[in-house]
Amino acid sequence: MKRSTPYFLLFPALLFTIVVLVYPLLQNLHNSLRRVSLIRGMGDWSGLLNYERVFQDSLFWLAFQNTVLYASVGTMLALGVGLAFALLLNMKIGRITNIMGFLYTVPWVISPVVAGFAWKWLLNDNFGIINHWLISLSIVTEGITWLGDPTTALLCVIVARVWQFYPFAMVMFLAGLQAIPEEQYEAAAVDGASTARKFIHITLPNLRSVAIVLLLLGVIWSFNDFNMVFVMTRGGPIHASMVLPVLVREFSFVQFDLGKGSALSMLIFGTLIVLSVIYLRVVSKRGPA
Amino acid sequence: MKRYITALALVVVAALVFLPILWTFATSLKPLPEVNAYPPRWTSPNMSLHPYVDMFFYLPFTTYTINSLLVAFCATVLTLLIGSLAGFAFARFEFPGKRFFLLIFLLSQMLPGASVIVPLFQLMSTVGLYNTLLGLILIHTAILLPFVIWLLYGFFSGIPREVEDAALIDGCSRVAALRRVLLPLALPGLGGTALFAFLGSWNEFFFALILTESDTTRTIPVGIGLFVGEFTDVWNQMSAAAILFSIPPLVLFLMMRQTFVKGLVAGAVK
Repeated sequence: MKRSTPYFLLFPALLFTIVVLVYPLLQNLHNSLRRVSLIRGMGDWSGLLNYERVFQDSLFWLAFQNTVLYASVGTMLALGVGLAFALLLNMKIGRITNIMGFLYTVPWVISPVVAGFAWKWLLNDNFGIINHWLISLSIVTEGITWLGDPTTALLCVIVARVWQFYPFAMVMFLAGLQAIPEEQYEAAAVDGASTARKFIHITLPNLRSVAIVLLLLGVIWSFNDFNMVFVMTRGGPIHASMVLPVLVREFSFVQFDLGKGSALSMLIFGTLIVLSVIYLRVVSKRGPA
Repeated sequence: MKRYITALALVVVAALVFLPILWTFATSLKPLPEVNAYPPRWTSPNMSLHPYVDMFFYLPFTTYTINSLLVAFCATVLTLLIGSLAGFAFARFEFPGKRFFLLIFLLSQMLPGASVIVPLFQLMSTVGLYNTLLGLILIHTAILLPFVIWLLYGFFSGIPREVEDAALIDGCSRVAALRRVLLPLALPGLGGTALFAFLGSWNEFFFALILTESDTTRTIPVGIGLFVGEFTDVWNQMSAAAILFSIPPLVLFLMMRQTFVKGLVAGAVK
């Protein structure tokens, strides 16, 4: 066996990774430090000017705030829903539990684009079923323009995101629940503990490490998520639901300001690196689940 | 009693969870005047499968479907070929730089699409692959590779080296050992990985959206994602497209539920 064999085997994969991922990342860093536009092409070095321009843009701060909300609130809600469903499934009342367990996982399998599309139609101001129900129940007199109203748009996208992400939390929590040794509950029962106390003192502490992993992963994924917001609102109305990945597209391909787009995407990259390092440290300490 | 309350809760939750899907499905069967009628209704006597046929003729979904199938198929084959070589190298060899290369693949999996998209757009334009299916196939291959290598590395490592050694002692060449012994054993793993890769490409939206610009090269998710502003108001045909598009992922999920759930946990590195 020649010593060079493994390198030959790795070569095609490395080639792809370098050309499509590593080189563009470096080029992106390069772009972010120059005056550059899709129309005028590459210009001079400009130091951190592009980054300054990003920071001076109020749209960036709005998108930043929205992204933090989307990632944190969305992830925590998804974890809550996932845990509730996992507890429900863990009651194990026969065959129906298995079937439901399967059905509850379906939103995770559906493509994000379809998920966004379905929610958008559900929330349609005139012909969506949600508004129709609200009007029938006399909660509102006129259909709410859910996605057309700056105050509700982001909220609706978060709801759709929770719908898509909770199954992942549910599956992980369910695995966590089933790994809790039965003896702990039996011992607590002997001591006369109530169901609520068992939940607080046995169930929750046992799920702690799963929850931390889920929280970090959820934040990383949502922080990076382009699809749901783009499909449902494109960041509108009037940028009210703009998030950072969508803003990169806005800067680069709508405003044709590649310098600003590159600078912003480097900022996203930096944030994700920090989050990922935290995640990897947590995971390698505790094991993957 | 408690049993029935739990069962009831399970069913109510399922109805809530399926609300968006059921509403889309109901819409996909209705004729257009009833879709745009108030009050909206769940059913109608005029429900039919017409929207499922019409979308292929009135909307460009014939082209989109061919494009999606072609891209996902080619990207899967390419990823598996290249990925199994790399996975094999990681599983069977000790060599300087192994940890470094593993790290590169691990990190490239975490790379946000937004941080490479602008230079990729420039690169693809320069080499003439912007707005081509070939370009999209190559991009999808690259973004699927890290995860596929990771999975295959695991599968190959799980096959005891002794099996191969025994074949070598019996007079097989190294290549024959790989082909006759290792590959058949790894086949279930390869199959599962292929399904993941196919789904990854089938569902991919971000790169497909930005690196294509005409109906001849768009894939189904791009067609659905760009719906508003392009094909306004044909919600029934678009719903039909969304439902049809979701069938392959759902079928694969049904077939491979166990692997899928394991993959969820393994994919947690992404």
